[in-house]
Amino acid sequence: MKRAFWRIGEPMVWLSGTALSVTLLIALVLLVVIVSNGLGVFWPSNLVEVRLNDGSVLLGEMVRSEARPEGAGERVQYKIGNRQLNGLDFRWVNLDDIALTRLPADAVALERSEYGNFYGFFKEVDGGEIAPELQGTERSLLERLLAKMEDERAALIKQSEHLNDVSYAMEELRLKRVRYDYEVVAADDPQRLAVEKKEGALKERFHQLLEEQNRLSQVLQSATVTMTTIDGREKTLIAADVLRTWQPNIMTVGEKTLFYLGKLWELFSAEPRESNTEGGLFPAIFGTVMLIFVMSLFSFPFGVIAAVYLREYAKEGTVVRLVRIAVNNLAGIPSIVYGIFGLGFFVYGVGGAIDRIFYPELLPNPTFGTGGILWASLTLALLTVPVVIVATEEALSAIPREMREGSYALGATKFQTLIKVLLPMASPGIMTGLILAMARAAGEVAPLMITGVVKLAPVLPIDGNFPFVHLDRKFMHLGFHIFDIGFQSPNIEAAKPMVFVTTLLLVLIVLVMSGTAIALRNRMKKRYTFGVF
Amino acid sequence: MSENHQRDGSMNTNYQARAKRMDRFARWGITLGGLAVIFCVVFILVLIVNVALPLFFSAQVERQPSVAVESQLSGNLLAVGMDEYLETSYALSENGELPFYKISDGALLDQEQLHAPSGPDRLRGVEGDGRLRHVLLWEDGSVSVERVRFRPFFDAEQGNERSILHQRERLATFAPPASGVPERSWARISADGRSTRVDLFADGHVELLQRLEEENFLGETSFSEEEHEIDLSSILGRVASLVLSHDGQQLFIGSSLGELMRWDLADIEEPILLESRKAFVDQRAITALTMIFGDVSLAVGDATGLVTTWMPVRNEHGTRVLRRIHDLSRHDAPILALYPTQRDKNVISASRAAVHIDNMTSERHLLTLPAFQENAPLALTTRGNGLVTVSSQGKMLSWSLMIPHPEVSLKTLFGKVWYEGYDAPGYVWQSSAATDDYEAKLSLVPLIYGSLKGTFYAMFFAVPLAIFGAIYTSQFARPRLRGVIKPTVEIMAAVPTVIIGFLAALWLAPLIERSLGSLFLSLIFLPTTLVMALLVWQAARRNESLQRIERGFEFVAVAPILIGAVALAAWCGPLIEEVFFAGNLKQWLFNEMGVRYDPRNCIIIAFAMGFAVIPIIFTIAEDALSNVPQSLKAASLALGASRWQTVWRVMLPSASPGIFAGTMIGFGRAVGETMIVLMATGNTPIMDLSIFNGMRPLSANIAVEIPEAPVDGSLYRVLFLSAVLLFVMTFIVNTVAELIRQRLRAKYGRF
Repeated sequence: MKRAFWRIGEPMVWLSGTALSVTLLIALVLLVVIVSNGLGVFWPSNLVEVRLNDGSVLLGEMVRSEARPEGAGERVQYKIGNRQLNGLDFRWVNLDDIALTRLPADAVALERSEYGNFYGFFKEVDGGEIAPELQGTERSLLERLLAKMEDERAALIKQSEHLNDVSYAMEELRLKRVRYDYEVVAADDPQRLAVEKKEGALKERFHQLLEEQNRLSQVLQSATVTMTTIDGREKTLIAADVLRTWQPNIMTVGEKTLFYLGKLWELFSAEPRESNTEGGLFPAIFGTVMLIFVMSLFSFPFGVIAAVYLREYAKEGTVVRLVRIAVNNLAGIPSIVYGIFGLGFFVYGVGGAIDRIFYPELLPNPTFGTGGILWASLTLALLTVPVVIVATEEALSAIPREMREGSYALGATKFQTLIKVLLPMASPGIMTGLILAMARAAGEVAPLMITGVVKLAPVLPIDGNFPFVHLDRKFMHLGFHIFDIGFQSPNIEAAKPMVFVTTLLLVLIVLVMSGTAIALRNRMKKRYTFGVF
Repeated sequence: MSENHQRDGSMNTNYQARAKRMDRFARWGITLGGLAVIFCVVFILVLIVNVALPLFFSAQVERQPSVAVESQLSGNLLAVGMDEYLETSYALSENGELPFYKISDGALLDQEQLHAPSGPDRLRGVEGDGRLRHVLLWEDGSVSVERVRFRPFFDAEQGNERSILHQRERLATFAPPASGVPERSWARISADGRSTRVDLFADGHVELLQRLEEENFLGETSFSEEEHEIDLSSILGRVASLVLSHDGQQLFIGSSLGELMRWDLADIEEPILLESRKAFVDQRAITALTMIFGDVSLAVGDATGLVTTWMPVRNEHGTRVLRRIHDLSRHDAPILALYPTQRDKNVISASRAAVHIDNMTSERHLLTLPAFQENAPLALTTRGNGLVTVSSQGKMLSWSLMIPHPEVSLKTLFGKVWYEGYDAPGYVWQSSAATDDYEAKLSLVPLIYGSLKGTFYAMFFAVPLAIFGAIYTSQFARPRLRGVIKPTVEIMAAVPTVIIGFLAALWLAPLIERSLGSLFLSLIFLPTTLVMALLVWQAARRNESLQRIERGFEFVAVAPILIGAVALAAWCGPLIEEVFFAGNLKQWLFNEMGVRYDPRNCIIIAFAMGFAVIPIIFTIAEDALSNVPQSLKAASLALGASRWQTVWRVMLPSASPGIFAGTMIGFGRAVGETMIVLMATGNTPIMDLSIFNGMRPLSANIAVEIPEAPVDGSLYRVLFLSAVLLFVMTFIVNTVAELIRQRLRAKYGRF
């Protein structure tokens, strides 16, 4: 019996089981790392006051602890914020050096629009010109002032939106003028004069608005908050820069949850700040969604048509064999090769040609002859077409022959059969392919990097200015966001939470999409598979 | 009633006709769309090849209208020149006349008379280095350095029509030497206030004069002037050729008996003889010398018609000595003159037989122009796109040159090249540097090496895991679990590589760097604990209730053992490092084994890229295995084979083509994977098989360099060429895999 166990290869079964186990464990570890690092980022952690043996003291959030790189014992990393005062946001403290830790109830954390968080104690507020009545050292005043600032900021944002509209209109007129120059339209041409006049009026309006904005922000600057740090230094902050304030040490779980949800909402709706390491992901999410959408517009119809051709129209033979090989090759070409193709063909080839024909007056400044969301979408469409083809073909081939024969017997043409019978039946399969293609597009970064993705796009590809959809614009993308803030950011340590949040978001999007697709496919398989063997 | 019927009938025919029309239409449309997809694949390849191909195009030359000069001037022509728009040329006669001509119609634009600094306005000779700078030796031995500049001018009133303005300026003059009138004189004026003049006298001796104009910190300028006679006693033969570097700090002398001398003139008080050596054993005369752009390499032309380039290379004693590096094209007659181009490392060599243009780095022979008249002046435009000389009939001849990518050849892309400043030939990728006179190093070998190295380690990690995992899933796991495992692994395949790369670089790399000892320890612990667990199991499996594990739950049972082993290793790692490796394994590796540990290395790549590849191989291998007819399995089991024997001897051989195809496709994916390697390899183009350092693969290289590559430049095209390589690599692999799968499909029906 003992011998037999080894002789009949039972250990090998265990070994193969181990291989599977390792694979699944690695996947699990990956998921756990992403989730554990990503989920907790927005949870307000307590502010710890740490007294060290040498008498110094610090206040901050505990980030993590690990074994010391040299010597025995552990060390703890604290996020101490107050970047202007301390120079660094993070500090490592050896566990042995800590004399005492406690959680001061009145410790306040401020989230600022610049320089990261501030940790300290509230001293006083000064409402300045905006709210002269708000002045004093009461804690409640801070809340009231910040609520007031919120309104003021909203007004300012509205103002700057006006400003943007005007400057966009001015830019349009300038381009018109450049075109007149290029076409050598006479200086006294009535159209030209009208444009120039309009431009002059806009310029005046622009300066007016600008002045108003300057005045508004000046007023906004006058309100201040004075804080003291843990080591007794005083710091006066401009109230307009303070976005959020909380006292984590006395917050209840309910309050913390609300705070968490608030941050989450900010993540989905706000613009990024501080070279993308703070604030929201809205432009990146928008860019990703739009990219996927535009890509689907191209890859979906072509993929389905190609699959229909292969399965329903082409005669089985060498040609079809070759096409299948071509399609599978298309799926196997490295994405960077697609990227370089997109750069050479779409951006410099097609885009350059469009520029030469339609925008010659702007050359050498490119309009379409540089990376943009259209070119990136087309490149990705090419990359994902094989996925749609393979899925559609699979779905079509799973439909039993009797369905087609029944349709023909009733006198339907091939096209009618296709439209009325086959495609509806294959639609779950086609959907699967499309979702898989979308998931692939959401996660693909390398080809985008050379066809138009940027770290910070000042404007979205869709806005309220005619023609509303600007396919020539550059865009932001979640995947590239990860690469950018993880690898190009000056303050990696401060950027890490944001990378993990973005990663978690992207993983969720992709996993949910492909999970749905796979579930759809498996259900469909069951529907059409009549007996395996 | 009948009316109704008829109407119905006509509607039907209409409808049928429309349906048929639609059908035909659709057939056309769909066929077109289908073929368009095939066309796409071909088109992608054609386009990227099309961008890369001009790298290997030969240079083009075009003769321009000749200008009749001699008849309008008195005396021989000693120097010529041309602007970079190839519109204006000039000549310098021995009487100091300097006429400018329009090349297209030969019209005289303007004529200037140059005057000697002292003595009569008659020239003994002119030395040039191919640039629009001429060193004029006048009748009485005085020397002047003249420069001609061209500048495009756009006339706003004439609709921005371009015209070329020219201007001549005198950079420096030197008084006649005390020891008489020299035969030939060379001079260099450099921007840092140094002027150097070298004279060769009829009796063969060489004199050096250096002036240095220095500004001290108070803003006062001081002049110093030194004269030396160059000591020629250490070489055989007389001086046959001589060249000064562009900064005037190096002097090279070639003798009539094949010897070379190298002087360092940096210290004006004391010229230092660095080296004098025999260059050619057969004592052939060194007839021409020139410094290649960048002042590092020396081009040597000899009496046998050979052009070679030399540069100082550190020898075994640590001193730098001249070494012959490149042999360029051979002429049928002695070399008369050599000229460098001013933008790249091309050399122009002239003999009575022909004028050749060669690139030093690639040793490519680029162009051959018709024969060269002895002692005729020759010049290049500043951009190197035109060449002008004088024919024996006294006509000024010019050519426009189109040399798009001289530095690229199959040899520089795939072979070893000895670059300037290197001690030995090598495969180097270093596409750009801070200076203009930089020798681009575009060897694809380190990149291909990097791609294959990363792929190798990734496959080494992924293939066993994926195949054994697939075997287990398809053959041993409970069917219901299989329904969960397979989709899970498929979802694994969907994890964006940017996320894998980011985690590998920012989470895994620091983790492994911290706990390298634990990693190695787990390599020992994992197998030992597994064997121990099996021994325990051997006894325990007799237990009825435990035996259920052997019905497809082994992988669940083994998980805690694996986790335990790794945890144990993580706990023991630091202790082991402390005891055996002085507390730091990385330091120990470096000190004892000379192995440098990069934080982003192949271990990381193996894990990360392996993780990306596992699902691909797994899915295809699992498909192949579960599509093997169950009758085979049943037969084998019925004959008394154990379940492993059945799998190993029956199922695996039947499915092996599919497994192979999966491996191939995984290989293709790993070769082309970009984001993971971009983030987690460190991207240094080194060729080292060590698992402890990184690499730079083709794909990451494209992503890193293409944003900075000027469109249609050499780098741009080389990057497209590397994309072609990637395409071809994956094309072959995928086609083979696909053919195998198609055959399998035919054999076992659909899968």
